[in-house]
Amino acid sequence: MSLLRIENLTHHFGGLRAVKDYNLVLEPGQIRGLIGPNGAGKTTVFNLITGVYRPTEGRILFEGRDITGMRPHRIAALGISRTFQNMQLWRHMTVLEHVKVAQYSQITYGLVGAFFGTARRRWEEAEIERKAYSLLEMVGVARWADQVVTNLPYGVQRRVEMARALATEPKVLLLDEPTAGMNPEELKEMIDIIRQVHDRLGMSIFLIEHRMRVVMELCEVVQTLNFGEVIAEGTPDEVRADPAVIEAYLGREVEVVA
Amino acid sequence: MNVFLQSVVNALQWGSFYALIALGYSMVYSVLMLFNFAHGDIFMVGAYVGLFVSTALVGLGASGVLALPNWLILVLTIILAAILTSFVGMLVERVGYRPLRKAPRASAALTGLMIGIILQTGNLALLGARRRSFPTLIETTTFEFAGVTVTNTKIVIVLVSILLMIALHQFVRRTKWGMAMRAMAYDFVVVPLMGVPINTIAALTFGLGSALAAVAGILFGLAYPVLEPYMGILVGWKAFVAAILGGRGSVLGAGLAGFLLGFIEIFVALLFPSTFRDLIAFSIVIVILTFRPHGFFGEAYSARLRL
Amino acid sequence: MAENQAQRLLAGLRSALAEVPLLGWLLGMVAAVIVEYLVGAPLARALGLGRVPLLFGVDLLFKSPLLVPSALAYMVLVYALPVGSVALVTRPLANRAAEKLMVLSPVVSVVVHVAVFYVGLHSWALLNDYRVLVVKLTLLAVMLTLSLNLVNGYMGEFSCSHPGFMALGAYTSSVLTVVAFVGSERFGPPLLPSALGPFLFPLALIAGGLVASLGALTVAIPSFRTRGDYLAIISLAFMLVVKSLIENLEVVGGARGFMGQPDWAGLTTVFVWAVACVAMINSFVRSTMGKALNAVRDGEGAAEAMTVDTRRTKMVTFLFAAFWAGVAGGLYAHVMRYVNPGGFGLQKLAELLAMVYLGGLNSVVGSAAGGVGFMLFSEALRPLEIYKWIIIPVLLILVMIFRPTGLIAFREFDMVSLVRPKGAPTRRRGVPHVAAQD
Repeated sequence: MSLLRIENLTHHFGGLRAVKDYNLVLEPGQIRGLIGPNGAGKTTVFNLITGVYRPTEGRILFEGRDITGMRPHRIAALGISRTFQNMQLWRHMTVLEHVKVAQYSQITYGLVGAFFGTARRRWEEAEIERKAYSLLEMVGVARWADQVVTNLPYGVQRRVEMARALATEPKVLLLDEPTAGMNPEELKEMIDIIRQVHDRLGMSIFLIEHRMRVVMELCEVVQTLNFGEVIAEGTPDEVRADPAVIEAYLGREVEVVA
Repeated sequence: MNVFLQSVVNALQWGSFYALIALGYSMVYSVLMLFNFAHGDIFMVGAYVGLFVSTALVGLGASGVLALPNWLILVLTIILAAILTSFVGMLVERVGYRPLRKAPRASAALTGLMIGIILQTGNLALLGARRRSFPTLIETTTFEFAGVTVTNTKIVIVLVSILLMIALHQFVRRTKWGMAMRAMAYDFVVVPLMGVPINTIAALTFGLGSALAAVAGILFGLAYPVLEPYMGILVGWKAFVAAILGGRGSVLGAGLAGFLLGFIEIFVALLFPSTFRDLIAFSIVIVILTFRPHGFFGEAYSARLRL
Repeated sequence: MAENQAQRLLAGLRSALAEVPLLGWLLGMVAAVIVEYLVGAPLARALGLGRVPLLFGVDLLFKSPLLVPSALAYMVLVYALPVGSVALVTRPLANRAAEKLMVLSPVVSVVVHVAVFYVGLHSWALLNDYRVLVVKLTLLAVMLTLSLNLVNGYMGEFSCSHPGFMALGAYTSSVLTVVAFVGSERFGPPLLPSALGPFLFPLALIAGGLVASLGALTVAIPSFRTRGDYLAIISLAFMLVVKSLIENLEVVGGARGFMGQPDWAGLTTVFVWAVACVAMINSFVRSTMGKALNAVRDGEGAAEAMTVDTRRTKMVTFLFAAFWAGVAGGLYAHVMRYVNPGGFGLQKLAELLAMVYLGGLNSVVGSAAGGVGFMLFSEALRPLEIYKWIIIPVLLILVMIFRPTGLIAFREFDMVSLVRPKGAPTRRRGVPHVAAQD
């Protein structure tokens, strides 16, 4: 059984058709890529999978279960986590708090614990904190744990966001341009982190990318989206050579190849 | 039937007050994306300014310096008070809102409430708790059609309000400034980059809204000639309710919803004791927002100045 | 030379004071109160004050400014010196006691500290009825400020309905206590023996809180269905509806108000409820569930994507805040033993908002400071009559312009680390100080 399966997904914004007849099969442990020019509908696909938008047509199956139209936090709790193109960190909160809050669905102490500070809450909070620190160490930002995120360098923020996404204990991780705006060194580190996440936690990863280099290094299969439709699917090399893809990127070839 | 028609006339009059004030809320919201919670008290200030201007003009006539006919005094009062009050509105914007343009919106809401309190208390401190009566500028003549009594005051009130709404419509549609306002309502971020002076537009919006509120204040004074410092609170909040019902940022909606609220209140008073008026007016806003969160003419998140 | 010595002395004093545990300060406070009982009245007369300054002299600030230096001298002699010297002298003793308590159980230690504080506060207030009233109202102000901060600060929405929740709590509990224990012409003879009253009074307060929560539900359902600033509008309408509703309810006196509540809201009762309120809210906002509230405020989309049930979080918080506003309202009704709907209007709202925003958003410490500070300031401005309501708004606007999040924002406290003994290095290990989370 495939982990994530999307069938004939279509979405309209008013009269505008953002995604048309989109299909996807993501196997456990796979790393897939989604590329395409700006405005092709890549982030919309992510928003549809995570329940931000309810699709006009089509079905989304996660572990064989229909999750179409479910509310975002339920989908996330089932095991689909994501990062955002513009990160969307919580600006008044510390690094540690980010990774703790993302474990929300794993809290069982309930309101009684929250209001009265029961023994169970103390125990659970200690566990949450321990797990948070281990994730922060894994992405290498533990020493900033008590800092408010807005004061941190960009690369660190990106990694905090990664740790936050992992804290929900996902089976599928959706990464929306994880290397956007990074310098070559930060880029290399991020690729290492993604690979580590994949290898150590055995997670399936679906990522949107602009830089072909990242896609080439990480992905087994790549889809190309243009005007909301998939125009090519295959290994990174096949897709890069596809005439339709080259045409879609016409005038932007330099960026694709780079 | 007579009772019904009579109520329609009264509803039109109250609706005029609400509509004129609601326009100010709505314009400010559409341009700056904030509620000017001091607007009800600007209505109060307008009424007082109108009181002083008209008393002065009447005094000029009595002392023999310059005797003007009453209709001219009314016109002059409206014009002068509108101009003076618009300065008050611009001052409020400059002192209370401009420094907070980048602050969280809750801060601006709070500031508005505080400015309102300052205006009320300031009035109380300057003029004392004594109620003041508005001079009689229109000798009341009562007409009767089919058992319905209509005073000339009511006719003036409704006519002036409708004229002003049409004038505002023309201003927003036709003039350069009106277009700049609409542009800003459309896109708060980009338009300032295109050479539209945001501070000027904000001041203009506050000025226009305050002028309309001042006219509402004077018309209110004609109909109910007793003024007191807290008169703006309840009328102001109800006009705010009208602005919400109309759809935030929709000027046409605000005008219509003002009249609608007038109708609702008057007809509620027919069925229930009059003390239920406020209760029902404010309950309705909760009910309507439950089922139509964007009001009658508004859109989610967009706040276009449409008319 | 002498300057150097003075500096060294000062540095020594500072490091010695740094070793004083909370318990030491509390003992100092009790000592100061005893000193006031013994020499307060004669000293005040000698200083030309006539009588003991009631509220640290702030009540004299505008009433008779010329007496302020004498009041200051009184403060130093009666409060500062005893507190400082007792805290210094008992330092080793207090540290040992605090350590013993800590070893026994942190909970016991916290309870003992709160009790000592209460003994000091109670005996200080008992000197004068005015003090008792001000302390009660201040405690209620802290409860209200904190519960409103939960919504306006921690959750980042703008709620205006707190006076409405207060009114619901006040009227519900008043009706319950009057019907059950006092009786009136309207409600007939009391239903229960009044000896039971003080024991069932907490239930009446809780009922008031629950009714307030129920009211909150009618605000929350339409407000949180869609994102956007609906809460500000709907909560405002709700407040005006509640006020108008009570004005039209002849059973409870309509606009004239409702009186005859039994005198059960003593200082102890109010104090216990205030401590419960602060402890529960502090506990909530420090839990991961409470932090989820901040996440909802700072980015609702991201919070949802990170498994946070945003709607439930907002609902629970709003109802919880309303509950405490209702309880505080009930206590208020029994402190004043008279309520009228006019007291739960825009003016009350402005006061509450002023306390929240002056004190600081997203902050338990700030709310306490805001409540206490505002009450003191308000008492100080009392002689200025209506000008008070020009000065307070102007001040608040200035705070908004120069410090939009308020004076002490983003601060909670950890009671256990507060009551820890100080100065003994062996005890400094363990749980890091988490009091300041900024």
